[in-house]
Amino acid sequence: MANPCKSRVFAPLFGSFPSRNFFSHYFSTISIKKVTRNNFTSSFEELRHHVREADFVALDLEMSGITSAPWRESFEFDHSTIRYLKIKDSAEKFAVVQFGVCPFRYDNSTKTLIAYPHSFYIFPRKELPIDFPSCEFLCQTTSIEFLARHQFDFNACIHEGISYLSRAQEAEALHQLGLADVDHLPYSECNPKETREMPLVSFGDILFTERMKIKLSEWRDSLLRNQNCDYHFEENSSNCKLQFRTDFFKMRPSLLLSGFSSHQLRLIQQVIRKHFDDLAFIRINDENSLSQNRIVYTDWKDDRAKLMEEVRKDMQKVTKSKVDAAVGFRHVIDLLSSEGKVIVGHNCLLDIAHVHSKFLGPLPSTLAEFASSIHKLLPYIIDTKRLLISELAIQRLMKKTGTSLSSAFSFLCSQMVSSSDTSSSNSRPFFKVEVLTDEESSSNQSNPGAKHEAGYDAFMTGCVFAQICHLLGIDFSIYKGSDVVEHEKLQKHLNLLYLGWNSGTMVDMKTGQEIAHSTVTNLKKRYPKIQFSNIVLVWGFQKKFKPWEMKDIVTKVLGISSVTSVFYLDETAAFVQFSKEQYVQDFLVLKDTVERESGPLSVLHPLGKLLEGGNTRAAKYDIYKEICSSPLSRVLFADQTEAMGIKWKTKVEIQKLEQADVGEGGSDRKNEVVAEKKILRDGKPHMEGSEDCLSSESILDVLYSSGSLIFKKVRT
Amino acid sequence: MTHKWQRCFFSSSSKQWRIKQITKSNFSRILPQVKERIHGADFICVSSQKTGTFSAPWRRILPIDTPETAYCKSRDAAERFELLHFTVCPITFQGTKVIAYPYNFHLFPRDELNIGMPSYSFSCQTSYLTSMAQEGFDFNTCIYNGISYLSRVQESASKHQNGNCIPTTIPLTSSKPSFADAIFLEGTKSRVKHWRDACKDSSGSSDGALMKSLRKHILGSEVYGTRPCINIDVCTDNQVPLVAKMLNDVADDLVPLIIPHKNGTAKGIRVVLASSQEDRNLLMEEIQTLEEEQNKHFRGFREVIDAMSASCKPIVAYNCLTESAFIHSKFLAHLPSTMAEFMCSLRLVFPCILDVNHLMKSVRPLRKANNLHSALSYIKRQFFAPVEMETPYEVSEDIDVTHGHDVLRIAYVFAKLCSILKIFPSTGQLPIGYRSMMDFENAFYPCCVSIQEPLDAEPTIQIDKNKSKQVSTEDLIFLWGYENGISPDRLRKLLCDVHDAFHGGFQVRIIDDGCAVVGFEKSGSAERFLKDVESGEVESGALLDLIVGGLRVAGYNAYERVCKLGVWEGKLPNSLERALLGEPVASTAKTGMSEEHKSESMMLELSDL
Repeated sequence: MANPCKSRVFAPLFGSFPSRNFFSHYFSTISIKKVTRNNFTSSFEELRHHVREADFVALDLEMSGITSAPWRESFEFDHSTIRYLKIKDSAEKFAVVQFGVCPFRYDNSTKTLIAYPHSFYIFPRKELPIDFPSCEFLCQTTSIEFLARHQFDFNACIHEGISYLSRAQEAEALHQLGLADVDHLPYSECNPKETREMPLVSFGDILFTERMKIKLSEWRDSLLRNQNCDYHFEENSSNCKLQFRTDFFKMRPSLLLSGFSSHQLRLIQQVIRKHFDDLAFIRINDENSLSQNRIVYTDWKDDRAKLMEEVRKDMQKVTKSKVDAAVGFRHVIDLLSSEGKVIVGHNCLLDIAHVHSKFLGPLPSTLAEFASSIHKLLPYIIDTKRLLISELAIQRLMKKTGTSLSSAFSFLCSQMVSSSDTSSSNSRPFFKVEVLTDEESSSNQSNPGAKHEAGYDAFMTGCVFAQICHLLGIDFSIYKGSDVVEHEKLQKHLNLLYLGWNSGTMVDMKTGQEIAHSTVTNLKKRYPKIQFSNIVLVWGFQKKFKPWEMKDIVTKVLGISSVTSVFYLDETAAFVQFSKEQYVQDFLVLKDTVERESGPLSVLHPLGKLLEGGNTRAAKYDIYKEICSSPLSRVLFADQTEAMGIKWKTKVEIQKLEQADVGEGGSDRKNEVVAEKKILRDGKPHMEGSEDCLSSESILDVLYSSGSLIFKKVRT
Repeated sequence: MTHKWQRCFFSSSSKQWRIKQITKSNFSRILPQVKERIHGADFICVSSQKTGTFSAPWRRILPIDTPETAYCKSRDAAERFELLHFTVCPITFQGTKVIAYPYNFHLFPRDELNIGMPSYSFSCQTSYLTSMAQEGFDFNTCIYNGISYLSRVQESASKHQNGNCIPTTIPLTSSKPSFADAIFLEGTKSRVKHWRDACKDSSGSSDGALMKSLRKHILGSEVYGTRPCINIDVCTDNQVPLVAKMLNDVADDLVPLIIPHKNGTAKGIRVVLASSQEDRNLLMEEIQTLEEEQNKHFRGFREVIDAMSASCKPIVAYNCLTESAFIHSKFLAHLPSTMAEFMCSLRLVFPCILDVNHLMKSVRPLRKANNLHSALSYIKRQFFAPVEMETPYEVSEDIDVTHGHDVLRIAYVFAKLCSILKIFPSTGQLPIGYRSMMDFENAFYPCCVSIQEPLDAEPTIQIDKNKSKQVSTEDLIFLWGYENGISPDRLRKLLCDVHDAFHGGFQVRIIDDGCAVVGFEKSGSAERFLKDVESGEVESGALLDLIVGGLRVAGYNAYERVCKLGVWEGKLPNSLERALLGEPVASTAKTGMSEEHKSESMMLELSDL
């Protein structure tokens, strides 16, 4: 490698180390390069080199949180749309605080894999004078605690974190600043707004104006008399020093103004505009956003226009470089994208979603769009979790070990150790991983690697990937760069990412298709197969309502075999899965009816207990999608719906009853509703056969009475 | 800026002021001292560092806000952001000398008890964090060593969550037990009696281990500490006092403890057998201290807030509305939905709050000062107010000079203002020529709503430096959808002739990117204009062009709805649009609101925009 490498840690994944303890101890001494805004520029150049040479790059992100509310956690009851909505919500709300990048390069001569782990501290600092809507982020208290437990340096992140702009933000910034510059530019010329006459009110203003007039004409005259005359003017007014200094600006003599107040500068401009045709007032913001005010002498009018053009070009250049600097960490993402390397992550869909929302632009509303957008950015993504779960050879090897990153890492590596011990003679050579950090970092800018530091996690992910490849018989000495994905054994895993944190469904990033994973063997089948159309979401019941009561109550009404399962989202909401789709409708209609009834039946009815408090709401599964896509996040599900302004109690078929509820809409519609109800009433044969259910007669009565009630409403 | 400010601040006070820094590690050590200082103080100044203040420029408290909308904005901020520092500074006046004891508490809403409290998540405003970082704020100390806390409501909610036994001081009900309860009680009574006899009996005997375990198994006896106990399951909450009464009748050496269920109801009763009357008292004491210990652990930093509340000392703060909304939301309870409820609730805890902003507005030349710095420099230049402040701390490890200075600034400005306004800084007999601080208490700028006064007290403030005019909220309209980036002057010119409502004189202020407020000088103009635009009866072609070009108009009630319903979008126009869309339910709210609005139409000023 081109870089002088002082600290070389050999972490052989094979051979001579007898114990796992020793092994893990060995790895813990790995140093990770810590990159902040102070050393970003230099580190980026090195990284560019490493990435270019790399065979694959492992990524890992540390975020300020995962879920914005308990009910937004990933559940087995989640439809894939919901899973995406949850990921989207998480990526939009939380910030990335640390970004681990670890390029791996296979060195043919030494037969070792060389890793360059980096931890970038990033923070969405406002570097440009533009307000982006995303100037706020959420922190999940437990995640912050978790980071603190792993010695995360929050000061480094907030004080020295590298800022970034997404591509969308960059475009927006260029657009806005480009426009803004026209306003800002030498305001004497370009901006008609500013040419408004400023009345000289105070005596001081008049005096100042007169004095400036004299001084400026003196200066101009001295220029005309003698081109090299050094004119110096200083004045001590009360406390600050006002001064002119002559120098040259764009090959023209100019006066640099300093110490004037903005009001005084405006007066000077007015003087120039009124009395000096051959002088131009110019204000420039240089790279350090210090503004300079100058008066420039121009020979004739065309020269002035030329000067203005030059200044404008300069300003644009400055703006561009400023925006470019503000792009900051996104340069790393652009680099990964342009180099087209294989990206390796562990259970990385959320990470990828963060990459999209932070560095590309707002997340699209559907999974398919998201996938295609990401596929354009990063065409080769491999998830090690997917490999661990679906490759039977590895499954057999790992037996019951979990597929979390750290357990996979320690297991796979120690497995290597023991297997090579037993069959040292005929074993294939295992990978040796060498960690290289450059000179500078070994002194003060590197952290000793620790679990849940992004750079170290990225390193572990890469190692796991390398070992899996090795176990699958993929030889890095044959495949160079991203060719490795052409290998048939990797090909089938390429761009397949798990949706959510515990699910079996995957998404193919190339096609945007969802794939149900069938070979998952270790996922417990806790719930019977989920039929989304059979699910009702019930929420807002009282807190003292006990979990087991739900099934009890519902079966009492709809029959013992009606409920397949009940799943609690949180203490205020539950999914009830029915055995038949018909029950969904029945339940909703019945609930609606009992609610309308104010008489004794509503109290005596088994559902009465569920409806206690008067805030119990219910709707079909679809409502969950709507609620998940809301930008709001309240801790309790019931509060969330309230904050979203959901006022109805029950969302019955085609939402017509809801309108009847509000008491608006044409009477035709209400008739429809009634008609619908009638049909339901007629076709109500599913009550028989269960002793403990309410007699079907009484339910029919309720339906009748409510039906006539609605009729009355319509007529009056 | 702050650095500069600090320098200038310090140079004025010859010696450096010291502030005690308090984290998790020294909290319990310093707490008694803090309580003592609070008890002995004349006033308690408070300030805090948050993770953000407002999420969008228009969500600041603006001059167009009524108390109600200002409260809605503060409530949103208090619910959204988290406290990182809370500085408490008890001060005492000794003539012209002010003795201050500033304590800066580092806070973090750590979930110490593993119950998802005090906060699941919180927002951070990046620009705010950045500026805090520039001032040298130490985030690591806060997050690693910050003191946690629970609000009063959270504390009572969490007590039954963590399954500890709380000693019962169950009120003995006189209600007759139902038939079922009577049977239950009889059964329990005999069981307890039997168990008690067995315990008393076996205490002397020397049974084998097998016998002991068998007996234990049969009787269901367990051990609470060193004493034997038995658990009784109850079906309903009202059985609890019945059982307690029954136990009281059985013997006086039985101590009932409630075993709480996760959701707060009683799951059962644990009956502990004390060996004698003294032992019973000892046990009660033990439980008492255990409970106190546990409470301390629960409350965390809130101990300080409770001590402040218990002392009934006047609280002094800057930007009181926001500050007290934070205090209420983090340490007391959820914020209620209206300002009046909030003030009532707050007053129960802190009977006297003094807002430095409000005091500043009482000094005429200080009205324009919009921060402490400018106020202080103005006071220094224009007034003779000899105030000397000192922080008599010994140098020690807890002392720092960098964090929590705001509170000293507040204390200093407050002391100066007291001297200027001749406010007698104590509750004793009022000397002649002095004003009581009662005149200023519980009036929050910018709302100037005091609990004692009726809500319709109209704040009077100037619109412009030259002309002083007030605008009623009824005469305000919001405009958006006009040409972007237009200056107020051009907008004014544009509007001048579009409708005759504008002929009576009006003012324009831009309050957010692409949204302006127009204040009509003639009452009724706003209504007329809105009506005409709504009905489409537009005569002038210019207005029609504007409307076709996307101009949108809304009355003040739309803005009220935005704040009340919490339609917080990044840009005000988006929020107004959503509020105008409104659900059918909101439309009823609209009529209700406008009625209420008529009865208390607020006078506002558009200055400082």
